[in-house]
Order: sequence, then structure tokens, then C-alpha cells
Amino acid sequence: MVKIDLSQTDITEANAKIRDCGRDGQDVEIVNPDARHNIGVGLIEPINVKVSGSAGYFCGGLSDSAHYEIEHNAGWAVGDNIYSGSVVVGGNAGAIAGVAIRGAEIVVHGNMGSRAGQVMKAGTLCCGGNAAFMAGYMMYGGRIIILGDGAARVGQDMSAGEIFVGGNIESLGNDTMIVDMDAAERDEIMAFLDRYGMSFKGDFTKIVNAGKKLRYANSEPRSRPQPFFVSSGSSNYWNPKVQEDIWIKGEVGRYRIRGYGASKPIPHLNDIAFVKDVAAQQYKPEELQDVNLKTTIGGRYGAKPLSLSMPVMIAPMSFGALSRSVKIALARASRLSGISENTGEGGMLDEQREEADQLIFQCLSGRLGWNVKDMQRADAIEVYISQGAKPGLGGQLMAKKVTPELAAIRGIPQGIDLRSPSRHPDVLGADDLVIKVEEFREATMHKVPLGIKMGAGRVNDDIKIAYKDGFDFVELDGLQGSTGAASTEVLENVGIPTISAVQEAVDGLKEINAGDDMDLVMMGGIKDGVDVVKMLALGADCTSVGTAAIIAGGCIACMQCHVGTCPVGIATQDKEHEARYDIELQSQNMHRYFESLRWQIASITRALGHDDVHKVSRDDLVALTPEAADITGLPLLAEHPAAHAPELGLEVLDRKAG
Amino acid sequence: MTVIKTEFSITARADLQDDTGDIHYVPAPCQVACPIGTDAPSYIAYVWEGRNEEALEAINATNPFSAICGRVCDAPCEPACRRADSDGPIAIRNLKRYVLETLGPGYALPPVAVIREKTAAIVGAGPAGMTAAHDLAEAGYEVHLHEASDRLGGMMFWGIPRFRLPQAAVQQDIDRIIGHCPGIRVHLNSALGEQVSLDELKQKHDAVLLAIGAFAGKPMGVPGEVAPFVEDGVSFLHRVNAGEKPTLPETVLVIGGGDVAMDACRVARRLPGVSKVRVIYRRDYEAMPARREELQGAIDEGIEIVYNTQPVEVIEGRALRCVRTELGEPGEDGRRQPINVEGSEHDIECGMVIAAVGQKTECCELDAAGLMEWERVKTDLDGMTTADPRVFAAGDGAFGGSTIVDAMYQGHRAAYYMKAFLEGNDAPLPYRTPYRTRRVPVCNDPDWEINPRVHQRFHGLGQVPVEFPEIESTYTATEARAEAARCFRCDAETGSADYTVGSRESIFAMARINPDDLDKQSSILEKRLENRDNPFTEEHVATLDDLVFLPANLSRLVIDPYREGCATATRFGAIQGLRLDIPFTVTGLDEAPAEIRESVAKSIAVHGAAYIGAAPLGADAKWIQVVSSDADPAADAIVVNADQAIAAGKVSRAKAEQPAGLLVNSANVVAAVDFSLAQSLDFLLLDPTNGLPGLASELAGAPDISIVHRAVARLRELNREEEVDLVYFGGLRTGTDAAKLLALGTIAVTVGAAMVLALGADISGGSPVFNANLDAAEREERSSNLLQAFTAEASMMARCTGKTNVQNLEPEDMRAITLVVSRATGVPMAGSLHQH
Repeated sequence: MVKIDLSQTDITEANAKIRDCGRDGQDVEIVNPDARHNIGVGLIEPINVKVSGSAGYFCGGLSDSAHYEIEHNAGWAVGDNIYSGSVVVGGNAGAIAGVAIRGAEIVVHGNMGSRAGQVMKAGTLCCGGNAAFMAGYMMYGGRIIILGDGAARVGQDMSAGEIFVGGNIESLGNDTMIVDMDAAERDEIMAFLDRYGMSFKGDFTKIVNAGKKLRYANSEPRSRPQPFFVSSGSSNYWNPKVQEDIWIKGEVGRYRIRGYGASKPIPHLNDIAFVKDVAAQQYKPEELQDVNLKTTIGGRYGAKPLSLSMPVMIAPMSFGALSRSVKIALARASRLSGISENTGEGGMLDEQREEADQLIFQCLSGRLGWNVKDMQRADAIEVYISQGAKPGLGGQLMAKKVTPELAAIRGIPQGIDLRSPSRHPDVLGADDLVIKVEEFREATMHKVPLGIKMGAGRVNDDIKIAYKDGFDFVELDGLQGSTGAASTEVLENVGIPTISAVQEAVDGLKEINAGDDMDLVMMGGIKDGVDVVKMLALGADCTSVGTAAIIAGGCIACMQCHVGTCPVGIATQDKEHEARYDIELQSQNMHRYFESLRWQIASITRALGHDDVHKVSRDDLVALTPEAADITGLPLLAEHPAAHAPELGLEVLDRKAG
Repeated sequence: MTVIKTEFSITARADLQDDTGDIHYVPAPCQVACPIGTDAPSYIAYVWEGRNEEALEAINATNPFSAICGRVCDAPCEPACRRADSDGPIAIRNLKRYVLETLGPGYALPPVAVIREKTAAIVGAGPAGMTAAHDLAEAGYEVHLHEASDRLGGMMFWGIPRFRLPQAAVQQDIDRIIGHCPGIRVHLNSALGEQVSLDELKQKHDAVLLAIGAFAGKPMGVPGEVAPFVEDGVSFLHRVNAGEKPTLPETVLVIGGGDVAMDACRVARRLPGVSKVRVIYRRDYEAMPARREELQGAIDEGIEIVYNTQPVEVIEGRALRCVRTELGEPGEDGRRQPINVEGSEHDIECGMVIAAVGQKTECCELDAAGLMEWERVKTDLDGMTTADPRVFAAGDGAFGGSTIVDAMYQGHRAAYYMKAFLEGNDAPLPYRTPYRTRRVPVCNDPDWEINPRVHQRFHGLGQVPVEFPEIESTYTATEARAEAARCFRCDAETGSADYTVGSRESIFAMARINPDDLDKQSSILEKRLENRDNPFTEEHVATLDDLVFLPANLSRLVIDPYREGCATATRFGAIQGLRLDIPFTVTGLDEAPAEIRESVAKSIAVHGAAYIGAAPLGADAKWIQVVSSDADPAADAIVVNADQAIAAGKVSRAKAEQPAGLLVNSANVVAAVDFSLAQSLDFLLLDPTNGLPGLASELAGAPDISIVHRAVARLRELNREEEVDLVYFGGLRTGTDAAKLLALGTIAVTVGAAMVLALGADISGGSPVFNANLDAAEREERSSNLLQAFTAEASMMARCTGKTNVQNLEPEDMRAITLVVSRATGVPMAGSLHQH
């Protein structure tokens, strides 16, 4: 047994030592733990870790196959997301004990705090004393055993799994019910208790999901979108789209759902122009060779940054919203073009990992598909707070797409209308996030860049908090950002335009003298190299392309992604429909798209007179509309000297179609 | 007939009927693949709508041979269809046939009069010649059409067997063309060099088009190639189409891999005496030029295809000596050349050989006139001109064997340059295929994504093969509709102002060009640099659409909008005020039928809302009386016209505790605020439509939402914001609208037109007409659902911003995305945070 004294060793060093011991097959005792956070986080070897005293937040978190014994009490989120192994707490545990576990055994001899077992997927969480309110909140599977009392709203919004309460239950949560338990179940529980030296004499009350809210009561009639000029614009206020929406709401009694992003006209990058005629010259590849497009993202705190061949990433999109084939094709295209791919919400696929050279692994509030092994094989980690399409809301995945395979990787029951939680169980505010960031850094040995994904709202404030929380990069998504399913009301009406978002981000960081060490990745309606260069000139370090990449790979923009029967096999989990998607063909199409994007970026950069895309600036831009001028502070074209230069003029700079 | 000399030009680009300048339209891949630019998406959409005559207009606009093409076009549109890679292309060709068969041979187009002095002669009544004749006649010219045979139609009649193209279909198109174009004067049995000479035509007419086709079969060029053991494919098809049904030997070999070979082998298969037909082709399956469908048809009919085999000698009366081949390097035509395999000679026994290895043009008269070269009429594609400036040429006779639709393209092209010539325009703009759209709405068929391709029924040889029954039949109306629903409508504008059809197609193009093709890269970049027209011009009206909510993220705690509760109750007036469970009232049903009023009353009661009107809606629904003379003691609250109240100097309640408010419009809002404070009134009902409780003004258009900000500003100015409640009516379409109005400072909103629309009212006349076929339960459910949905939407907005009570929404939860709405509401702009 190796002794590690936390009064002498900082936690990062201590965790490194524990990992070494795990590899060497030696057990560890932590002395003087002083209720430090993140003890034993990120272990993936079978090892016994004894904490002689009390542990702070996330003890044993993000681990697989390790066993922990905590002599006294544990802080919040003990055993966070454990895959297998066990944690035994001799005293009490704080809130969200066993949060998001996927198969471990967590035993708390004393009492547990609130929301124990929140979003857990499998395994057993057992408490010898009482559990505070909302035990089993939004759990997707597994078993919670409470020998004492259950406080208010036991099993609140659970989708599956079982909760056994030995004492009194103050109240049941939404959509739960009490059912009989059979003798075999009781025997199994008693054997479990026996294994951990606990005894129980009374009767259990078994609580399960009542199944009334797992699916929308009635499905929305399917329809294809009307052209946007019909559905927006004040000239025809009660237009056919408005009428259709009202008629359908009268039928189903709730908001409508569709894919894609905001569809109404919104101030955007095509209300901004370059101050030079960037199309005047046709550059040959050799003339563009010395234009630097290379972009590194995430080096702020010494992790190995992403190294991109141009300031472009593939946006986070989940396996779930998209078919497996599309995720493979995206990963392949990202490798061929030297950029990064992102898992989105649905977990990491092995094929995706193999195909992508650089893969960002996204952590969402439901911790769907989240696990330490995939964290450690990711090239960057991104904490999802919200997204441009539906900020303030969690993901939505309609039952048609929640297939057995998909349910397995996410660790959820199949066939439910999945509405992911909006809030991380362990992030109730910016201060929690600081500790969460530390946990992730510990789990990845400080080697992997850590980003945060946000839908644009109060960007001026939010960006400052993100900076102070210690992220390496921010992926900021405007109102134009798309999704596979969201309420049309949220798609159209929540969040600010992408150009507003970048402006507020740049202004906000300037206000706190943040310098440029936290990278800003902008997304939401980026379609081509023109948009990329404009976005960089406005102050972004990089851009992220989602919908446009999907279109390049065959999407026809019917906006019916949520239905699950995508005719081109993209937004579907139906094998027959997915078979329509040709991975090799479409990855090549996407690759060609990215190469065209690269040529555009380099050409425009050169035409603007720069040898590095990161040197473009606001001086290269001019606003075409009063809105764009107001939002960005750029000069209006008519007032710009370039508009009066003899060789340029308004028509050259403000090109119009037709 | 009055013949007038016209001056106008139809060869200037502006006169080409073309819609590619429309930013909401991009020609679909099928349309671009069609040589004549058929507006397939429009006719497919018309088929779905059941509007077959409109469909025919779209088809026939560029394709006079619609019935023929509905059966035998080689349909390059179908492989180009974006759905081809998914679950099969749309059956564009068969849908055309469906339209033509549905409308029947009796369908006629109105005649076009001859209005020009000059005349033209056309030699050859095949697809090229007749298309040109049609175009010239449509332009008002008299056209003399000389046909060597006794039939119109050229190869369409003589070259395609009846089981693929019945005579009636050919006749249907010819009758329609001739009926539509009385200016076409037909001269049958009038062969060039025999019954009529080129000089004569040039003398009589101002321009001549040679569309003489290629009716002579080419020989295989191997020893022993003599009739009757060897016959060429074109002659063989010609005599069968003339009515012969000869008895053939038991085994027939057909040489070649094109469409003529396919037709010839399938004809032979049906003729008496034949039991075995083999096709000998010198390349492999992939390289075979025949349309896949014809090839498959032949295979399905029991014909054997022998690939990679080339004849080297005919052994008269017995066999064809062949060698096996391998494919070598690509030749000048880009196709891999077959190379004979040494020592692979073998004999294939047979009783007859049909050589379908190509066609050529023969015409002694033109030879003599020096107009021929390499077995064709020497023609310059640029102007479709020959060595003689008044003589034009088109079709197989000019450019070699091609398809019907290519021949039609050439006919259109020739007619275009002939018209220019006839008008004296010696520098017409270069011809290009025009693309049009009929702007037909995208079909709203729920099954469009999942419908599989509907296959037309294939009958093969049929019961009595020698009678040549049709091999396929077209769709029923139901099948046609299901098939038409499958169309992706690549041409149509999308539902997204961000990902428009134009930007989607540019992205598609970026993904499908060679990265090193700089010309294409540059042209796409040029297109991508085009900026849209400003969507927010001075005419842009401030609506709630230009306000957005700010989501909770880091600086404000995220709550769970799917699950966490959100309070929605509200109250008009102080402690004694009218309490509602949801911040919604309903109006506009004073004149509605009793059963409508009754249903809505029930759902208002269920949801704890209220009705605003001159009379109560129903026993259970709370009622806010719009007072015209006296307040009713039964009313839960009253509202009085502000102008009248101000004039009267008071508001008379029916009872002391009755909450009372003013009905306020944009003109009197400031005075109404002041008066309400002076009188200690409970609420102001802001009605910028100035029409409540009627709906006609609400339906007239976007309301003036600035009224809310003006009322709030006045109250703030007086520092008495909490003293009177604001309720809003006008243009409420969604629960989101409601949330925005609550955030702007109201405590409740009023649903008018939205409720009648949920009940299926027709508002096209400017006021609601209830003609939906709903029963009482459905009406109650629908009105209840609408209130539920609106409440949920308003709650969702509140929760997205991090709030758990809709009443806690405030202007600071929003941003403006246009200047006009920022001015109308005082909400700052997103990005700059400027307040306007």
C-alpha cells in the first residue's frame, strides 16, 4: 500500500501517482485528504484507493474499474460518471452522489444529499440513511436503494430504472408510480447489502417510471416548409405559414418542432462586405501557398492544442440527430482536409475516432455517451452549456431515432422522446463550473484542451465568465445555428444573431483585458470562405461549419430532420434510409467542399493584401445595412472612402444577385 | 388571314423565356440535364395537385412531343435526379406519360395565327424538323414541311417499335402540333432531290432547314456482309413499322449496343419463327450506350447479351465469326477501345444477322450542292448554318445519331437562329437552353420522404407478342400522386432565409467541383460574394419577429424548460382584481355562430382565461365587458372606449369592486394613461388595431406594437408604473408573441384571429368565416389546445431566459435585431447594446 499525503502533495501530482500505482498493481492510501476535490479522478486501472478522512467534490469521478473507500464523508458528486468499480462512503455524501454513473456500485453508509443518482444510466447507488429531495432525478436506468427515508419528489422525471425506499417517502416525483416488487428482487438487494456489511429489516417501496411523459401524447402532422418569403416579412402578417402553425397547434396543443436554425431574415454576414474587390483576381494555388491559414486552438493552459489546416472546424452534431454513416463521413472529411470533427451530444463512435485525426468530445448535461475512456482518447473536450438553435433548452431527439443501438451508446431506454436536461447536474453556476473544469483536467492529465459551447445570449457577460472559469476555447453559436430538432419558437426567437454574438464576445473580452489567449470559435450560419474571412475579421480565431458541411454531403435542406425518415439517409436512424447514404462518396464531396472553402479563404486573404488569414481585421470590412453597422460598429458602405474610389464603387463592393 | 410585317425581335436575350434571374429559383438537376430544359419540378408538382392541364403546359412549353417522350425519351433527367442516389429517381418520364394519357388525344392547344410575311421551308418531319417548324409557326411564320415518306414523325414513327411507342401516341403529338400551328403546311411524299429541289425551296422561301435524319444503316465492315442474311437495323425496324411481320429464322443475332440494337432485338424476339435472339456487343456492360431500362427490358424478355465480342466475318447462311475483346486505353471519343484477343475466334451459329452499328445520312442532291461532308450535312453548331447562308441544318442528318430530346434541342436551336436570320438580326445572342419555373408550391404530402418509387407495370412480350402489345402501362391517379410527392423540389426556395436555394446550390457546387478547376472555383466565389438585398429596408415594419430572447447560460442560472414549472397566473387590477390562471384573454367572437362561442367558452373556463366582448361568451367563461352603454353587473371586469370615457370625465362601473379599464388606441394612449391614473382605473387594454372586439382590423396587417412602449414610457415618466396594468390586443400569433408583450410590460394579452384560425376559419375575405367541418368536441379541443400551446410557448420563453414566472419577463430579457423594432420598443440592439 502506497501512502500519499495530501498535505504534502498537490492533487494533480497525487492523481498521477495513483495512476502509476494502478498500473503497477499497488493499492493507495490517501492521508490528510482535507476534503480536497477531485481525489482519484480519471483512474482506469483496477486499484483500491483508501481515503483516510473526508473527500471533497467528485471523489472517484470519471473512473473505470477502480475501488474507493472513503473513511468519513464525501462532497458532492461522489463517483461522478463511474463506469465500473465501486465507491464506499463511511459517512454522509453531499448532493448528486452517483451522478451519471454507468455501472458502478456506490454505497453511502450515512445520508445522501439531494438529486442523488441524477441522470444515472446503470449500476447501483445505495444509501444507508436518508436521501434528500429528488433522489433519482432524471435517471435513465440502474437502481437506487435508500434504506432510510426519501424526501420530496423521489424519482422526479425518471425515464427508467428502479428506486427502492425502505423508510418513508415524503412525495413521489412527476410521472412515477409505486409497483410491487418480487422476492427475487428483494433477495438480490439483501445480498448486495450483505456484501457491503449493511442490514435492513423492513419492507421496500419500489418506484418506477409511470410512462406517461416519455412520449409526446400525439404526434405533429408532418409537413414540408413553405418558402421563407411566405413565412416571414410583415407585408403578409397572417401568412399561410402563420395559419398553418396555428391550425397545427390547435390539433396537438403544443409548439411545433423542426430541424435547421432560425429561418427568418436576420442581420448576418451577407450584410457586410470587404473593402476591396476580392473577386478581381483568380489566384493559382501556387500564388496562395504562402498565405498562412494554419490555426491552433486551445493552448491557453499548456494542453496540446488542436492544429487545424485552416480556421475551420466541423460543428458538433450528434450520432443520433445524424446517422452513424454521416458521422463516419464527417470524420473522414475532417481528416482529409486537416480540420477537426466533433462528437456532439451522442457519445463517441469507434469508427469516428478512427477516421478523425482530431476529434472533440462533447459533454452534455444528460452525460449521454460520456465516459472517461473516450475523454482520454479525445483531442479536445467541450462542455456544452447551450447551442444557438435552442439555447436554454436541452437536446431533443424524437423516439423514431432512439433505436436500440443509439440507446445503448447513450445509456438510455430506447423509443422515448428524448428531451435532454438543460442544465448540468453538477453545474448550477459559474463557480461550480470552475471545479468541473478542474475535474476534467484531472481526468485528462491536463493534456487535452477544454472548451465551452454556448448559444449566444448575454454574450458580453457570459464570455467573461467563460474566460474566468478557465476554458481554453469558446465555441459560440449564434441564432442562425441549426439542429436536428427543436421547437420552432425557440429556433426563431431565442438567442442573438451570430454577428451580434462575435461583437459582444470581442467587446466583453476587451473589457476585462483578456488578451487573446482564450480562442474564440464562431458558428451559426457559416457557409463558405467568404463567411469565414468576415468572421475572422470581426474578431473570431476560428469558425465552425455544421449545416453547410451536411449540405455539401447531400442534405437537401427540407428541414424535416426531426421526423427520422430523412430521404437522403442523413438525419435518420432507420437502416433502410441510412443505406441511401454513400459514406465514401459524401465524405469526398465534403472534402471537396472544404478544399473549395480553403481556396476561397486563401484567395480572399491574399486579395485583401495579407499573408496570414489571422491578420484580417475590421479594417477589411464595411457594413452594407444600418443594422449591420449598428451591431458591429463597422462604417456603412456609403460613408466609406472605398465606395468612392474610382476603381471600386458601391456596385463592386456591394455585389447583388441577378 | 391578315399578314402584317412585324418589327419586334424575339432573339434578344430578354425575350427568351427564362427565370434564372429569380433569386428564389435555381434550375433543378433534372431540368439542367434535359437538353430542352423541361420544367419537370413544376409539372411533377402539378401532377400531385391533380392539375394536369397546367402540367401539360409546363411539359409542352419546350417539348412538342410530350406523349412520345412520356414513353421513349431517354430521360437524362432521371439519372440526374437527386433522389436517384437514395431510393431511386422520380419517374419523371412516366409522370409525363401519365399527364398525356390522362388528358387524352382530344386535348388541343389554341391555334397560333400566321402574322409574318416571310416563310420557311423545312425538309424532314422528324423531331428536329417538326420542333423547328413548331417554334417558327408559334412565332407567326408560315412553314412548309416537306417529308419524304407518307408520314410525319421521322424516326419516332419509323425507328421505334410499336410495343414501345404505339402509333396513337405519335399521332396524339402530331395532331396537337398541327392543330396548334396551322401555319405549318405539310407536304408528304416530298423527298428532297426527287419531288422537291433545294433550289426550289430557296426560291419560294426565305430560309430552309435541312432536318433529313440518318436513315441509312452503316455496314459492320466485315467480309461476307450481304443481304438477306445480314440486314441493317434501321431498315429492319423501318419495314416492321411499315406493317411487315416477317417470319425469321430460329436464331437471330443483333450486332451493336445502342438503342437501335435494343429495339431490333426485341422486335426480332416477337416475330414468328424466332426462338433465340442474341445481342453481340464489343464492349462490356458498363460501356454499353443503350438506356439501362431498354437493356433490362430486353434481358427480361429472354434476350441474351454477349459482351466483349466483335464480329470479324459473316459465314453466309450459317454463322457469325467473332473474336473476344478486352478493353484497352481510351480512344479519341474518351471511351476505352475494344482490343481483339488473339486466338479467340469462334463461330456463333445463327439464321440471320441484324447489324445495328450506326446510321448515316444519304442525299445525292445535297452532295451535289456541296453541303455534305462525312456522310452528314456539314453544319456549324454555333449558328446551325450550312455552307449556304440561307440554309440551316439540324438533327441526326447534321450531327449524327442522337436521342429524340437532343433532336428537339437542335430543332429549338435551329429555329432560334432562323428567326434571327429572318428578322435580319445577324448577331443574335448565343442560344442557350432557357430555364423556366411555374413557381408551383412544394407539395405537402406527409409521405414524401418515405414513398418508394412507384414502378410502372411491365408486361414484356404480352399474350400475343407478334401483335406488339405495349410493354408497360402508366400510373393510376393514386400512383401518379404518390410518385409525384417524392420530388425533392430542388428548384424551389427553401424554408430558410439563411440556407436559401441559392446558397444551398452553391454549397452543393463547391462539393462537386475539382478543387483545381480555378475557373469554376472563381465563378462560385463570385456568386458567394453576392450580398443579399437588405431585408430591413425603410418599408420594413416593426413586428415582434425582430425581438429575440436572451437565453440563460453562465451569467444567469439555466433552468430546465422541459420540466421545471413556470407560473402563469395574472391579475387585472389591484388585490380585488380579476384573476386569471393564464395571461391570455380571447376576443372577436361576438358575431361568431353560437356553437363556436359555446366551445370556446368551455375552453376559456377550463384554462382560467377570460373573454373580452360586448356580451358574455358562455356561462363558465369569465367575461370582460366591452361597454357600449351601461356596465353589466355580471361582468367580471369592464372596459370602456378611452375617448368616450375621457369625454365623459369618468368610468361608470356596475358595481364598486368591478375592475375597470380603458380601451386604448395608438392615438389616445398618452391621454388614456393619464386619465386612468387620475381615475384610479385598473387596466388599459391597448388595441393598436383600433378594432376590438372585432377582428377585421387585426386581420388587416401588422399592428403598431410601439403602443406598449409608449404606454410604459408615459407611466415611467410619471413614475407610476405599478399603478395600472397593461393588457394588449392585436396580431398575436404565438405564445412567443405573448411572452414578448409580457416582457415589454403587459400583464396579459388577447387572442383574436389566432383563435378563429385554430377553429379553421377562412380569413381570406378579411373577416372570419367558419366553414371547417368540426364537431363540438373537436372545436372545444382545438380552442383548448391553442390556449395550452400558447401558454406552454410563453412559459418556454420565460424558462429559456432562466425565469420561472412569465410575469417576471422584462425588456432586459430581450434584444432587438432591427433598428425599427428597437425604436418601436426601446429594446437595445443585440451586439451593440445601443438603445434607439
